[in-house]
Amino acid sequence: MSLYTAEQLEIKKAARTFVAKYVIPQAAEYDRTGEFPSYLLEAAKESKVFAMAIPKEYGGLEYDGITQALVLEEWAYGCQGMGTTLGASMLGTDPLLVVGTPEQKKMYFGSIVNGGIAAFGLTEPGAGSDAGAVKTTAVRSGNEYILNGTKCFITNGGYASVYLIVASTDRSQGLKGLSAFIVEKGTPGFTVGTVEHKLGIRSSNTVELHLKDARIPASNLVGAEGDGMKIAMLTLDMARPPVACAAVGMARRAIDECLKQLTERFTGKYLPPQTVQFKLAEMHAQVEAARQMAHHAMRLRDTTTSYAMESAISKLVGGDMVMSVTTQAVSLMGSYGYTSVIEKLMRDAKIMQIYEGTNQVQRLVIARGLLTQAAKRMQKGA
Amino acid sequence: MNFKLTEEQQLIEQSAREFAKEYLEPIVVSMDETREYPREAVKAMAHHDFLGLHLSAESGGVEAGFVTYIAVVEALSRSCGSVASIMNNHAMASYAIQNWGSEAVKKQYLPSMIKGEVLGAFAIYEQGPAPGIGPKAVVSTKTDAGYVLNGTKAYARNAGEAGVYVVTAVAEADRPKTAVAFVVDAKTAGVKVGERIATMGLRGCPVAHVVFDNVVVPESALLGAGGVQIINRTLALGALAEAAQTVGIGQAGIDHAASYAKQRVQFGMPVFNFPAVQALLSDSNTDCHVARMALYHAAQLVDDGEPFEVESAMVKSFLARFGAKLLVDSCQVEGGMGFVENMPLPRLFRDITGTTLVDAPSDTPERAIAMSIA
Amino acid sequence: MPKCLVCYKWTLDEQDIKIRPEDLSLDSSRAKGKISDFDRNAIEEGTLIVEKLGGAVDALSYGTAAVKQSLKDTLSRGPEKAYWIADASAETADAVVTANVLAAAIKKLGSYDVILCGEGSSDAFNQQTAQRIAALLGLPCLSFVNKLSVAGDVVTATRKLDDRTEEVSVKGPVVVSVLAEINKPRIPSLKQVLGASKKPNEEIKIADIGLKPEELQPKTARLSVKGFVMQRKNVIYKETNVADNVAKLKASLASEGLC
Repeated sequence: MSLYTAEQLEIKKAARTFVAKYVIPQAAEYDRTGEFPSYLLEAAKESKVFAMAIPKEYGGLEYDGITQALVLEEWAYGCQGMGTTLGASMLGTDPLLVVGTPEQKKMYFGSIVNGGIAAFGLTEPGAGSDAGAVKTTAVRSGNEYILNGTKCFITNGGYASVYLIVASTDRSQGLKGLSAFIVEKGTPGFTVGTVEHKLGIRSSNTVELHLKDARIPASNLVGAEGDGMKIAMLTLDMARPPVACAAVGMARRAIDECLKQLTERFTGKYLPPQTVQFKLAEMHAQVEAARQMAHHAMRLRDTTTSYAMESAISKLVGGDMVMSVTTQAVSLMGSYGYTSVIEKLMRDAKIMQIYEGTNQVQRLVIARGLLTQAAKRMQKGA
Repeated sequence: MNFKLTEEQQLIEQSAREFAKEYLEPIVVSMDETREYPREAVKAMAHHDFLGLHLSAESGGVEAGFVTYIAVVEALSRSCGSVASIMNNHAMASYAIQNWGSEAVKKQYLPSMIKGEVLGAFAIYEQGPAPGIGPKAVVSTKTDAGYVLNGTKAYARNAGEAGVYVVTAVAEADRPKTAVAFVVDAKTAGVKVGERIATMGLRGCPVAHVVFDNVVVPESALLGAGGVQIINRTLALGALAEAAQTVGIGQAGIDHAASYAKQRVQFGMPVFNFPAVQALLSDSNTDCHVARMALYHAAQLVDDGEPFEVESAMVKSFLARFGAKLLVDSCQVEGGMGFVENMPLPRLFRDITGTTLVDAPSDTPERAIAMSIA
Repeated sequence: MPKCLVCYKWTLDEQDIKIRPEDLSLDSSRAKGKISDFDRNAIEEGTLIVEKLGGAVDALSYGTAAVKQSLKDTLSRGPEKAYWIADASAETADAVVTANVLAAAIKKLGSYDVILCGEGSSDAFNQQTAQRIAALLGLPCLSFVNKLSVAGDVVTATRKLDDRTEEVSVKGPVVVSVLAEINKPRIPSLKQVLGASKKPNEEIKIADIGLKPEELQPKTARLSVKGFVMQRKNVIYKETNVADNVAKLKASLASEGLC
């Protein structure tokens, strides 16, 4: 009995082949320039990988969680700058998987299936970890909403065809006054601002978005007014395990690069010193453990609606793990580590502790869950 | 036990900080972008006596002692890790020449090295399992004219800009215990500096492989007292000098993160007020402080003429484990802002990592430390 | 070959001073000392004059016991000898006392061609020391100087005033107070720092400079020192109608006389 089905293994193999052809050879150059890999969207169109979570009825591949996990791991193994382009598009698509009218899904999913990508617009200069502090407003006007505000650090923002934007329909209600909207590329008053130059995942496009009296049809409201925060949280719960899957791929690559260099350097009767061997063993054990947690969270995502804690755990474990493994890898491999893809992996790893909820936010979610559970047990006991 | 710098040391440290502010801060961002060698800054360092800081007065140096050297490196590193790297590698070369070089070689190189006219490079590492082992190891062969060197030094810092190399070689292939060291002029026929290698950080400090292709050096180029001793002692000092970079860059990162956190408001208050953020800053500051204390203690042993190799190894081992983490966690405090290159922390993250590398995996500090216990 | 004297003050580095948020009182426990900013310019100016024309520059300071910490720092910046007066009276000294002490000490030290001061100290910034010393010594005073040259016994200075600059020449001796823009104080090289220990310093006891007790009594008393922290009003206008918020803001600004 295999852990994976034959079909899953086929898909993983295909992803690996794709990555070996379209990601790995180009990654260093795109990291150097920070240019967005537009060629990749073209190359990926045939495999429909950007639509891998979209239901078949809308033209997607409807892969289950584990299959998605395997694909994301392979992309991250190649380059998480490119992996983030994929992952963030899925993040931008996730909300429509849980809410949305059939018309909205048709339009949004259709755009992705036709080769477009999505972006999730929540973060603002004043609303980072405090996502509820969103200030972008959406004012109903006839059968339109008028949006005004600025979003920042939005992945894929400069290239997406569809966006899920969180804005406030009622500032007086704070968190409960947020709503979610579909905004299409090309909407008048909707422009892309500064492009960020980043430490890592440099080929991933990270931008400011400006909304100035941007008018969208009222039918672009996803769910009801006031559902925005709930939708955002559901989306993040969905998107965190995929980040963990990517972290596993990056860490696996770091170890493989270390092994490659060590076998070249230590030949014949010479073996890498025991301390190096043991560090590699620890790194590998961490990767394996993180993978299991990531896959566990992906399985729960497929089967249950109440997995926020496991989702947070997977992202916390994966993010901290890949930072630790890549840091270790650079140090172990010395100047080679400092001048090769291994240093890129360490730079790319840093974001895995930050985006989609910093690992401090993940700890908050987990701690809150634990304290709630403990309080319940106390009540039952009393 | 005196934990204070002397008045002179404090004044020199103050000068170093002012120097860094005036000469290094203005160039640090562009140097990181263009990787341009900071020629003017190196000249200014010579002018302010930094390049002869650790050398004896007899050699033309300032003879300010090793604790002072460390204090200066830390102060400079708070502003610019690259320049500190250049200075450290240059200092290792000039130190080796002063201590073990022939009179001829000392006279030829030390004055111009102190004046910053000739840059030194101390090249040890190779691509084999350990220096001296493998087909690319640098081997020296005795001849009538002197010695002939063949082999490749890997990832040599200051390579390309250096006017003089202090190179280790083995007298017999695959036998590291036969290591010797030579002073090789960069212009000697057969010294081939490879293409500049792009590094993650410390980008103002050039790094390249250097091939020695039938390089002939005279008798006077041989450094006395046996290669292994030279290498070990110089590396032990170099490890402390590098640790001063780690501590300087680390503290700069922590200070920036703390000041950012005090003004970044989320959830209605500065994020600095969250105990979890204070914990990140506190753990980093504590680790940095502990490292600094161990570092200055080891440096004091050097000045006292006491054995210090084990203490140096402990500092290196501690920072190999906790050094890069200082910036991993400082960046974490700044969140998204700790990831964008128009803020200083990403550059510090990339720079500090270069100060905690283990280039000779067979020669770990842990072994020396363990051997010293019981 | 002019004989120059620079008067300088050893103050606390304001960067190290923390303001206690509860009562705005100052916590100087971790504050290190430093040569007052404009005094550095004065020392540099004296050093430049001597480098150009020969002669020598001495330094003189009046402070608490902490003034001894300033000596090597000062001597690493050019002066040949540092004179110092350490006395508890410095703790509460105002401009009157400071000038009395310095002038009396200078009378004892002998005659100088140029006596340099900073325009004001970085802590009190009274901007009076140079003028008072000059008056007590019966010498002319050139203040707000941003350019200085010495030729023989003639001292020429450019004074930067609020609305004009003025070029003045005086036949020495003279007291000069300098602005920060007059020069860029050099960073002492390591050799200069190490050389400072070899230079002489001499204590002048306050009892030996012939001051009457009332001349050591300050004419102003410092009642309290508080830190300045920008207080934001943090008023948020939350009307649903933007026009109402604007009206409220306007009314608030008007009530403060701002519009």
